[in-house]
Amino acid sequence: MKYMIQSYASQQDYDAMAGKDTGRSGWSGEAVADMHQFMEAFNKELEESGELVETRALAAPVHTRRLGSRGGEAFVTDGPYAETQEVLAGYWIVECESFDRATAIAARLGQCPYPGDPGDTMYADIRPIMDSSADLGF
Amino acid sequence: MEDLLRELAPQVLGAVVRRFGHFAAAEDATQEALLAAAVQWPGEGVPGDPRAWLITVAARRLTDLLRSEQARRRREDAVAAWTLPDEWLAPAADQPVSGADDTLVLLFMCCHPSLSPSSQIALTLRAVGGLTTAEIARAFLVSEGTMTRRITRAKQRVKDSGLPFRLPRAEERAERLGAVLHVLYLIFNEGYASTSGPDLQRAELAAEAIRLARMVHRLLPDDPEVAGLLALMLLTDARRPARTGPDGALIPMAEQDRGLWDADAVKEGVELVTGALKRGSPGPYQLQAAIAAVHDEAPSAEETDWPQIVALYELLMRISDNPMVALNHAVAVAMARGPLAGLHLLERLQEPLMGDHRLHAVRGHLLEMAGDHAAARDSYEEAARRTTSFPQQRYLHGKAARLSAGPDAPTA
Repeated sequence: MKYMIQSYASQQDYDAMAGKDTGRSGWSGEAVADMHQFMEAFNKELEESGELVETRALAAPVHTRRLGSRGGEAFVTDGPYAETQEVLAGYWIVECESFDRATAIAARLGQCPYPGDPGDTMYADIRPIMDSSADLGF
Repeated sequence: MEDLLRELAPQVLGAVVRRFGHFAAAEDATQEALLAAAVQWPGEGVPGDPRAWLITVAARRLTDLLRSEQARRRREDAVAAWTLPDEWLAPAADQPVSGADDTLVLLFMCCHPSLSPSSQIALTLRAVGGLTTAEIARAFLVSEGTMTRRITRAKQRVKDSGLPFRLPRAEERAERLGAVLHVLYLIFNEGYASTSGPDLQRAELAAEAIRLARMVHRLLPDDPEVAGLLALMLLTDARRPARTGPDGALIPMAEQDRGLWDADAVKEGVELVTGALKRGSPGPYQLQAAIAAVHDEAPSAEETDWPQIVALYELLMRISDNPMVALNHAVAVAMARGPLAGLHLLERLQEPLMGDHRLHAVRGHLLEMAGDHAAARDSYEEAARRTTSFPQQRYLHGKAARLSAGPDAPTA
């Protein structure tokens, strides 16, 4: 089965990580390097175990364009999210034997080094992927 | 052994395509011949004429491939699109031809203007560079399936276009060579723009682009723009070891430890561009290489010959209306004549580069030079908001933070 592991962050989180002076615990260059190192090792392990389908990081929420429709006319809103709103920041698609295994993979993300207090607010979602056209009812 | 095979691969493919057409099938046959060589040569030794050996095996394999019914139909189509002997500029298939010509024809074919840039790049790396589809897919962060389809579609386009396998006619040769150089330049940039971390594999693209540019320079030693492009790559790539700090942070050229620059690459690049410029037709690659050479030859950032760089950018602006060239020119003017002269030039670039973070980063830099720290900070923050690149954001926020802390603050 395939699962998507989703991680979240707000614009404020992105800004802090990009070294912007936000008055919160800052990310030093070393802290960023540590996080990158952890993520690289994490991804490499998944690649080597053959479970990684793909992983991507998304640019900061301010770079979002939202496409809506009003009276049949399409219109675009730039940066629709509030500063503190948690949005999808990155994802992993893994293919593994069970939901529990996918959960164990996601749990490793909790060990990613993080400056200051990682807070009890950090979480990841694990969602099964509709894997075949049969599941989709086509 | 591996280097030999990579050097021979495009020559063999070129020879087989020239003889039989069928680009896609010839590519499969060539791959199988290379595989056979990789298996047999280590045990039996490299044959006296390895190129002829590979061509023979690939041709035999292709004949097998073409025996199927479908292939016979394809062959009839190909015969219909055959070129008459008097249209050949390259020697006909029954005349001896050098492997060098075949490699060059193959390059022109892969970089044909009817293909999109992404197809040109993929096909060049596959057919001329000999990279595997998996390697190319990894370098461009797409799935192998996507890259396979991209390459297959490109081959199909080449086939449908009925391109005869020969060097372009004299009147279109310059334009076609321009397309080849642009593709190599794009491959180099793709590798050079990615600095570290998960993008490490992409750094190999820069090395591959240099290898291909060397190949073209060997085939066309008298072309000054080819020499200019190779020089530009060498002079830029020489700074790679100094571009990032231990934590992966970007280090701008003015702050780089010049002792880390690759002195051999600088020497070779300077010699190449100096020789090319003597021919008296300075094109865009030679001029960019000359600018890179002036930077690389300065013992320190303070000793950079900015007036010369300004002059070179002014020559470049005459042949290119790229706003990024004008932006770099504004920086050089600021360094040569003071920040206000540079800021004045930026006003003209407001329109074309409004959404580009680089315009705002340069403005921040020049405002800081001019002592207007509050405005500089705003420009740096604006630039950071506009780039999606994480290392650049960190660099720009760092510049802004240093200005908020006041001029005496220790730099992080």
